[in-house]
Amino acid sequence: MLHVMQTAARPASDGVFRAMFAARKSVFVDLLKWDVPVIDGTYEVDQFDDAHATYLVLADPDGGHLASARLLPTTRPHILDSFYAELCEAGPPRGEGVYEITRFCLDRGLNARERRAARNTLVAGLAEHALRAGITTYTAIAEMPWFQQILAFGWLCRPLGLPRVIDGTMLVALRIEIDAKTPTQLAAAGIVPSIDIRAAACVAA
Amino acid sequence: MGMHAMAMQFIRIVEEVRNVDDLAAAVQAVTTELGFQYFALTHHVDVLAAEGTAIRLHNYPARWADYYDRNALGVSDPVHRASHVTSVGFCWSRMPEMIPLTAEDRRVLAMGREEGIGEGFTVPANVPGEARGSCSFASEAGRPIVADLLPMAQLAGAFAFEGARRLWSERGHLPKPPPPALTDRQRDCLLWAARGKTDWEISRILGVTEETVARHIKLACARYGVSKRTLLAIRALFDGTLTFTDIFRR
Repeated sequence: MLHVMQTAARPASDGVFRAMFAARKSVFVDLLKWDVPVIDGTYEVDQFDDAHATYLVLADPDGGHLASARLLPTTRPHILDSFYAELCEAGPPRGEGVYEITRFCLDRGLNARERRAARNTLVAGLAEHALRAGITTYTAIAEMPWFQQILAFGWLCRPLGLPRVIDGTMLVALRIEIDAKTPTQLAAAGIVPSIDIRAAACVAA
Repeated sequence: MGMHAMAMQFIRIVEEVRNVDDLAAAVQAVTTELGFQYFALTHHVDVLAAEGTAIRLHNYPARWADYYDRNALGVSDPVHRASHVTSVGFCWSRMPEMIPLTAEDRRVLAMGREEGIGEGFTVPANVPGEARGSCSFASEAGRPIVADLLPMAQLAGAFAFEGARRLWSERGHLPKPPPPALTDRQRDCLLWAARGKTDWEISRILGVTEETVARHIKLACARYGVSKRTLLAIRALFDGTLTFTDIFRR
């Protein structure tokens, strides 16, 4: 099921949180070789994992991690304005209804088909969460292949500036506008919560 | 107008286009703004064999396009192959550093130059589960590329391809019907076969009999309508049932 969670002040206190931080370590540190902090050799936790962050975590009935994303309020320091402001032609967007999507993470234990199902469910969940929480705009930073996929989700996505090569990787900052039409746009592009994962959520409930 | 503003103008137009002719006009205009003459938006498949299901939009000289199609260059085109080994746009002059070029590749590139197509810049566009594609911009032979405009070409290529993808999808060509689903056990057997294991080896790894492995692979082949396991592995890689990461992961 899809968990929406806040207050990660004591991350090790909850199984779903623990599994997510461990999955993030596996993806971002072990696989993608990002230079980010690791706690106890197991959990990837950085300075933005605080009480202001919101997490969307897709978990199996046993709390096992499938996919997750972290949302940061743009009214506080976040990744785009702290480290990558140069990617924005007119400065990073900030506001009450503007949240930055970071650490979009698909579990490494999934095969290709499961990954797509988990990805679609999480993307649809991000749109639904935005509509519930009054979020009108998501911002994010993406490498070019991931950017092409984000465009293919069918929602309204635009670059905030020209792509730039930073530390050997071409990155682009982007904004995604969310409104009542977004779920329909996503569905038209085939981005719908997967039946399997819905079934899993029912079992969990 | 700055590069970002030019890119945004193009993106807004692409978001609004409702037919292929309007998209072609918009891409033609941005191609000129970027200092190029030619563009080609395409899925990397044999476009004649694909019978209109694959994206294809270009303004190459007709003679060159005909030759290209007749010889099904869409599948062997060195530009397409090079775009499979990188995730960002590249200049064609860099291709020899990216992929091994065969004598035939060099002949095709020379023929393109004779037909007036010089240096180009190709933006790879890969959507998992679909055929790989790209957006290329090319200059008339002898005209240099304006390097400063390449970041904008990168963005324009990404949005042009997505615009084409949306139009082709509205025509009902994309997304394709779901690929044949394998059982987990069939997939496991295929994964080890793709790693080069024999049925006997797979049977030891999975703790089943050799006959069981052979049966799983035979049934998997039947689901895809193919008769050889090599082709089965390729089809499964193409539709995302297997990924290269699965195969090389230890």
